[in-house]
Amino acid sequence: MRAVILDGLVLGLAFGLLGVGMSLVYGLGGVINLAYGQIVVLAAIVASLVIEDGRAQLVAAVAGVLAAAGVAVLLDLTLMRPVYREKGEDRTLLGLLLTLGAAFVIGGLLTWRYPDGALYIFIGGDPVSILGVPMARGSIWASVIALVVAALLLLFFGATTFGRGVRSVIQDETGARLVGINPSFVRTVIFALSGALAGIVAVTQSMSGPLGVNAGFELTTFALIVTVVGGLGSVAGAFLAGVLLGVVQSLSAHYIGQYITTIILLGVAALTILVRPRGLLGR
Amino acid sequence: MSDDAKTRGGRLGAVSGRLGWALLPIVVTAVVLAILPPIWFGDSPYTTSLAVQALVFASYGVGFNLIFGSTNQLFLCVGALAGIGGYGAAILADRTSLPVSAGVAVGTMSAALVGGLLSWIAVRRSLGVIFTGIVTLVFSLGFANLLLGQREWTGAESGLFVEGIPARLRDDQVGGYYLFAALLVAFLVVFRALQLSHVGWAFRALRDDEVAAELAGVNVSRYRIYAATIGSAMIGLTGAVLAYSTGFISPATYSFDRVDVRVLVLVAFGGLGTLLGPVVGAGVFAVLDEQLSSSFELREVLYGVFVILIFLFFRRGIVQAAVSLADRFRGGGRPQPDLQPSGE
Amino acid sequence: MLRVEGLAAGYLGERVIDGIDLEVETGEAVAIVGSNGAGKTTLFRAIAGLLPKMAGRVVLDGEELTRRPAHRISRAGLAYVPAERHLFPAMTLKTNLVLGAYPRRPDPDVLELVYHLFPRLHERQRQQAGTLSGGEQQMLAVGRALMARPRLLMLDEPTTGLAPLIAQLAFEALEGLKNEGMTLLIAEQQVPLALSIAERGYVLENGRIRLSGTAEELERNPEVRRAYLGVA
Repeated sequence: MRAVILDGLVLGLAFGLLGVGMSLVYGLGGVINLAYGQIVVLAAIVASLVIEDGRAQLVAAVAGVLAAAGVAVLLDLTLMRPVYREKGEDRTLLGLLLTLGAAFVIGGLLTWRYPDGALYIFIGGDPVSILGVPMARGSIWASVIALVVAALLLLFFGATTFGRGVRSVIQDETGARLVGINPSFVRTVIFALSGALAGIVAVTQSMSGPLGVNAGFELTTFALIVTVVGGLGSVAGAFLAGVLLGVVQSLSAHYIGQYITTIILLGVAALTILVRPRGLLGR
Repeated sequence: MSDDAKTRGGRLGAVSGRLGWALLPIVVTAVVLAILPPIWFGDSPYTTSLAVQALVFASYGVGFNLIFGSTNQLFLCVGALAGIGGYGAAILADRTSLPVSAGVAVGTMSAALVGGLLSWIAVRRSLGVIFTGIVTLVFSLGFANLLLGQREWTGAESGLFVEGIPARLRDDQVGGYYLFAALLVAFLVVFRALQLSHVGWAFRALRDDEVAAELAGVNVSRYRIYAATIGSAMIGLTGAVLAYSTGFISPATYSFDRVDVRVLVLVAFGGLGTLLGPVVGAGVFAVLDEQLSSSFELREVLYGVFVILIFLFFRRGIVQAAVSLADRFRGGGRPQPDLQPSGE
Repeated sequence: MLRVEGLAAGYLGERVIDGIDLEVETGEAVAIVGSNGAGKTTLFRAIAGLLPKMAGRVVLDGEELTRRPAHRISRAGLAYVPAERHLFPAMTLKTNLVLGAYPRRPDPDVLELVYHLFPRLHERQRQQAGTLSGGEQQMLAVGRALMARPRLLMLDEPTTGLAPLIAQLAFEALEGLKNEGMTLLIAEQQVPLALSIAERGYVLENGRIRLSGTAEELERNPEVRRAYLGVA
């Protein structure tokens, strides 16, 4: 039982990390980035190419993260311009559709060029015993990274001037403009940040097992579930929702079954929308 | 100017003239579909099955058009609804000795029920377009997992064989082609009839401005549920007939990837909310698919590019864009509005 | 300090205001009066950069602000306090004020001035802005604008939704600001209140400047008396 819960926590932190990137962009600009999973895959492929080239895993990881952030900025500066010109629901819908198109373009190109592409970051060493349960080193690394990222993000948004500026744009965009904050610039930076986070997801996911080129759609789906349950634009909400869903998934998969588990997770997302649309910690 | 001509022409003449005018596109489509096999297919079962595919997607499209195009409900579960129709019919055929029509009826009604239910939920909880989309997407994925998980009933990935239909109506036979063509034309007639009735007027009102429509007395919720139920019935019926006609279905037949994305793109391409949008879109994409049959991935890239181009520049669809362009050449005459309220 | 020439702006292609010429000297308080729908808010939003201008120029101390986006106009020293306030509801009162100084760090002297002018804000500084009363929110909105150390403060209907007593207090605070040397441009429906602290005024009607003059001139003007005075 303890093993199942710990597995759930590890999974949950991974979920949280996956969801936070999408949640920030959704909360800030009202855009659901359906290409998110593909950006993760892109980072994975770039990193795997660097590794194939003979470089160290760390270099590959950094390359992946930078590539993802770069693609995100590119997306923001091109496709997102017409999206931000709309308001409210029209904006979300257009953003959803355009990023869906982008997802197909990116995903299609990647699967076409690298049909067998996958990233596997191998962390050597014996399993470490946590609370009496043997955990693979890769999983522990992944969880630690996720926790560090969560802490850095909370610090950034809570205590830095720019972070407060971001929150202000989320809460009242006109008010932000009135105090001298450029919402457009903030959105681009956050989009880039979400891209970097996608890159980090690629790295941490691949520590637990190979991350293949076809994983894009599934990653986007889980990111969306976490975002919906956690609440838009909330870092803490994304991680809280992630951990919750991770534990549920682990328990359910162990005691019930694989397909039912996915249905349960999807059900939690649907239930959240129906019962508490703003999510756990959203506004 | 054309309005004056109508009132001057006298009521009876005007009504029958308009009716003819209204049914004209459908009649033309029916004729085109009818003569297509002899001039194009030859005897190739392959080409026939491709044409059937196009008809199937056009039919899905008409249903989706009714739900999203007319009442702004983003139902990202077209595949799942078709799957309810298809698997409903297939399981019935598998487990009982009921006739084909019963299987199809059950499948269709189940899909209609589920579609109406989803709409009812969306209405009750005042879900906006986005959340409706997410909830229906979740339903789609959940349904796919259900199919995969319930091996005993559905055969999971291995799929189900569906017996019971005469060979003439198989999807690679001309008989099958005409079956689906008839189905599509029937759907178009229903769509047009709705468009021209008070229902269509209500649809247009609520699509333009929901609040104003409510204030004008339109029961927005009820019309939404109507649209969803009828549209889902169309989708479910198509899915059920497809199951019998192809003789074999699997979760992949009705997956989100294969169905929903395609339907969205081709309906948007042809024109959301228009009568022939799905038909035009399905036709164009059938041809495109043929050209790109070599690479599945490149096809995906092309879809993506299309989605982006359509929603950036041709949000009203190619048909509308072409019509506006033609009008501008003709010197700016106002195009006949698609929807007319009945009984002036 | 502020010069507006031939300004025109509106919505969906329609000009709501047109041919606006006005001036505000350093250290002055100028009032824009007019009834609902006259175009006061449109005018202010256009000057502040929240609304695209269809014609005309806006110049602040020689700096051309006409084509600048709102956040750059704010940083140039023109602070706008809209009627809707646009505060950050889920942040504390203090954080709202701190953000007013963006991108700089808050100047402790200015913060003290704000608390001195509005003691209530000091009491409630840890409270979430969304839970404040109407009067407190108005004070916070003004305080936040001050944190940016603006050269010119524009206020749109600062007494909206305020009880008469609170409105009076608000204007007394504004007078205090003026005495400290702040330049003010105030749009108000309540003409007596506006003219009580302004030296000059403009009367806006149907999107155009109808009259202008000193406060005394406007108060004595029979048209103004008929149309606006006596209308509370």
